Amino acid sequence: MTRPAPIRVRIFVYNVGFGDCILLCFDYDQGRSRTVLVDFGSTQKAQFGAPPSMNDVAREIGEQCGGKLDVVIATHRHADHISGFAGSSGAVISGLQPEVVVQPWTEEPGLAVDATDSAVSSPRAGNRKFTARLDRLHAAAAQVLHQIPRLAATPGVTASLTDELRFLGETNIKNAEAVKALQAMGDRHEYASFGSDLGLADVLPGVGVEVLGPPTLAQSPEIAAMAASDADEFWHLAATADAVPGQPSVRDLFPGARTARRVPQEARWLVPRIDKMQAEELLSLVRILDDVMNNTSLILLFTIGETLLLFPGDAQLENWSYALQRAPNSADICARLSQTRVYKVGHHGSLNSTPRTMLWGGFARAGQGDPAERLITLLSTRAGKHGSESRGTEVPRGRLVEELEARSELVNTQDCRAASGWWREVVVPL
Amino acid sequence: MAVSSSAQIRVVAQDPSVRVDGRILTALVSLPVEDAREGPTGHRVQVIDYDATTRTMYARARPLDPADPSDEDIMGDPAFHARNVYGLVMATLARFEYALGRRVAWGFPGHQLKVVPHAFAVANAFYSPDSEALLFGYFDRGERTIFTCLSHDVVVHETTHALLHGLRGRFLRASSADQAAFHEAFADVVALLSVFSMREVVQRLIDHYAGRGSRASRKGAVSASALQPDRLKRSALFALAEEMVPERDPGGIGALRRSVDLEPDQNLLNRLEFRDSHRRGEVLVAAVCHAFLEVWVRRLQALGTDMVDRERAAEEGAGIAEQLLTMAIRGLDYTPPVDLLFGDFLSAALTADTEVRPNDERYHLRETLLSSCAAYGIRPASGTPDGCWRRSDKQLRRTGVRFGSVQSDPTEMFRLIWANHRCLRLPVTAYSWVSDVRPCLRIEPEDGLPVRETVATCIQHVKITAAELGDYGLHPPPGMHPDTDIVLEGGSTLVLDEYGLLKFEISNRLPKRTDESACKRAQARLDYLFESGAYAAGSAFRGRLAAVHRLRSTQTASSRSEVW
Repeated sequence: MTRPAPIRVRIFVYNVGFGDCILLCFDYDQGRSRTVLVDFGSTQKAQFGAPPSMNDVAREIGEQCGGKLDVVIATHRHADHISGFAGSSGAVISGLQPEVVVQPWTEEPGLAVDATDSAVSSPRAGNRKFTARLDRLHAAAAQVLHQIPRLAATPGVTASLTDELRFLGETNIKNAEAVKALQAMGDRHEYASFGSDLGLADVLPGVGVEVLGPPTLAQSPEIAAMAASDADEFWHLAATADAVPGQPSVRDLFPGARTARRVPQEARWLVPRIDKMQAEELLSLVRILDDVMNNTSLILLFTIGETLLLFPGDAQLENWSYALQRAPNSADICARLSQTRVYKVGHHGSLNSTPRTMLWGGFARAGQGDPAERLITLLSTRAGKHGSESRGTEVPRGRLVEELEARSELVNTQDCRAASGWWREVVVPL
Repeated sequence: MAVSSSAQIRVVAQDPSVRVDGRILTALVSLPVEDAREGPTGHRVQVIDYDATTRTMYARARPLDPADPSDEDIMGDPAFHARNVYGLVMATLARFEYALGRRVAWGFPGHQLKVVPHAFAVANAFYSPDSEALLFGYFDRGERTIFTCLSHDVVVHETTHALLHGLRGRFLRASSADQAAFHEAFADVVALLSVFSMREVVQRLIDHYAGRGSRASRKGAVSASALQPDRLKRSALFALAEEMVPERDPGGIGALRRSVDLEPDQNLLNRLEFRDSHRRGEVLVAAVCHAFLEVWVRRLQALGTDMVDRERAAEEGAGIAEQLLTMAIRGLDYTPPVDLLFGDFLSAALTADTEVRPNDERYHLRETLLSSCAAYGIRPASGTPDGCWRRSDKQLRRTGVRFGSVQSDPTEMFRLIWANHRCLRLPVTAYSWVSDVRPCLRIEPEDGLPVRETVATCIQHVKITAAELGDYGLHPPPGMHPDTDIVLEGGSTLVLDEYGLLKFEISNRLPKRTDESACKRAQARLDYLFESGAYAAGSAFRGRLAAVHRLRSTQTASSRSEVW
């Protein structure tokens, strides 16, 4: 018997500020629909008069999915992608009774628990070590957050430095409540890596869902290097996870040691510099953590007939490069991706999450053609929160936005600013 | 090393994880006598014991204390930590000055390097040129606190960064994969070879590692079978920063780097993973370590086939390490001032050694280093059979140049260069300056006669846009905007003999259409810089050393052509 296929896709993009929240509704004949929620998180509210709370967004999702979610996808653990699953907004989503929850392989419960193997003797052991280390890094991010009030009061540590520390620290904490809520949600959980079969044929009839990332450590040496499967590689970061003292008390390193009552004259030039360098060190470490977490992001390709929808979460180059360059079937993947109809712009439009030549350069529908046939791009972002123009790291990256505006049908959440229109519906006929 | 007038200070020989008979291994190191004050503070080093995490300023420590401290004092007394860094930094500085035959300035205007033994609770240690300081962090592992300031290798490594910055400031700049790696490699080489100057430490480590599990050693002797390359390689002598990572196997020790384990392979440097500066640096370190090991084992085999006198074994190791380390440090004077490649350094070291120590029959060190480097794909840039730079046969015009001043006055040296710019092939239109000029006095080890030289470095640059690259025989890398600002660099090191005659002219010149090799090199530099993001908006190399230490292997796939 031929499986039914969707006749159209409706995509709801919500302005949640700095974060991602997108609902896919696959509509079939006779008014039936199947729904997929891709991420539900925010670290900074939208910038207009009365921005929605996550509860507002959850209720809107409930309305638009007709009270039933079929699949929930949490691309990775960053707060700007999963924070909404915690608390009352999470309860609303849970009440929509999703059947399947899809997360990256790094989120498999228990994977980090038995991470004490002395050697990486199997791919799974390597994965365990990696996820255990991620757990410690989340703890480091939390401890960095604890230090911010003290750093903010330190001469020489600028407000922009502490702002960035706070932002990255908040993004990279463990988000335990949201993680727990996701684990409790749904009848079935899939922890996916490149090439995983998600078994969604019955849940989403006529829709193929292919996992293009993240690769496992065994699949991608680059991810392995990034993720420090080898103890050598990441000692600074991992060790700092233990080293950063928590609040309220900073422990006495040398009890009883003689200390100076005041900073001696010869040290007065240097001491504020040491304070600043400490803050910069912590910032560098949480930036690395941020990159590592982005590279655990799911990259999903939905295929309905010849229509392709590409959702890469926050994947950065290291994650992309396996599917686009190193996988045995990467040539075939690139060929198919060239026909992408809808592209969710990676990592809120950052400089290294939309591979410029390997991915963007291959999109056949990008250009000046018929708007009805052109590539549709979805950009969920909020400017001024991440990176800086002077360093060429601003999010969204100006050059990329110019390109998206010029060569695609861009839906930018920053344009959804009215109190009554903080979401946008995009209809893709099939 | 001979220090005529010296004081002694006790330091941790490796780090607190390296113990013999259950105690932390310490050693006495000799330092030049100076009027050291509490801090310790001397004329070149100022220890400032401030902890930014706990906001604590520890009291100044007594400067010298050769007493043998207990393990508890080593771990729990910040004053010992302060003396430990002071001692190791000063000893490393003295080692450089001995090799170079002159005083060595830091890479900043002041004369005192600030050293902060407990800077913050961050697992990192680095040299900050902006703050004129070495900063050592600390971190917890389980119940233990790991102090990077107690690691001999970490302290010497960071001090070497500071010294190298003073000697060749341009080597801190982005230029090529080799140059980025060289700072790390050179610092590792100095850290590893410095251990051998502490002979008692080497003796005890030989006992501890080579003797372990072998036939029972007689008093003062160790089984020759235990002194085999594989056994020695596994010891703490060839491991860098043992304490920074946990033990990986119960029978051995962990280490931040153990470059000696890198098997020779002529193609290593061409592999993608060896574009990373730490990995690439390990190739040079491995080549030097293998050369050292080969010579040492050869000498040990000559000492006997059954039992080997332990003291003699350590002495041989110390002698070889001293020669090799002196060769490496002295080689810096013979490197081009910009855009260094490993092959340049190899030729420089071999030349420096040949000039002062022509007779190499005792160790055959130069020949061994040459072959060991070849096994790792590092070939001398000189292209000569012995790897040394070719001597210059140019006769410089010296009309109006005062020889007395040319040895130390950059302006006088520039006058000499200006008068000979055609002969030296230095374009007069480029922005040019003499970055350094130093008289050097080195002593031939065999006959004790002095070798006097003057070493000067002249740097040139031109600022152009990418659209103008064609004028210099270059082309912009794909994706580079024509308006991109580009600085092309060139430079020459001139080595004059005691009569002011040109002995060596070691140059990486500005590219020129008619100079194919200079163009090839400059194009490779340009491509590397573009690929590594040096032309991206806001790119800065300030604090680069801290980042290099932190970001091992995290920049693998950041292909410049893929980012926005």
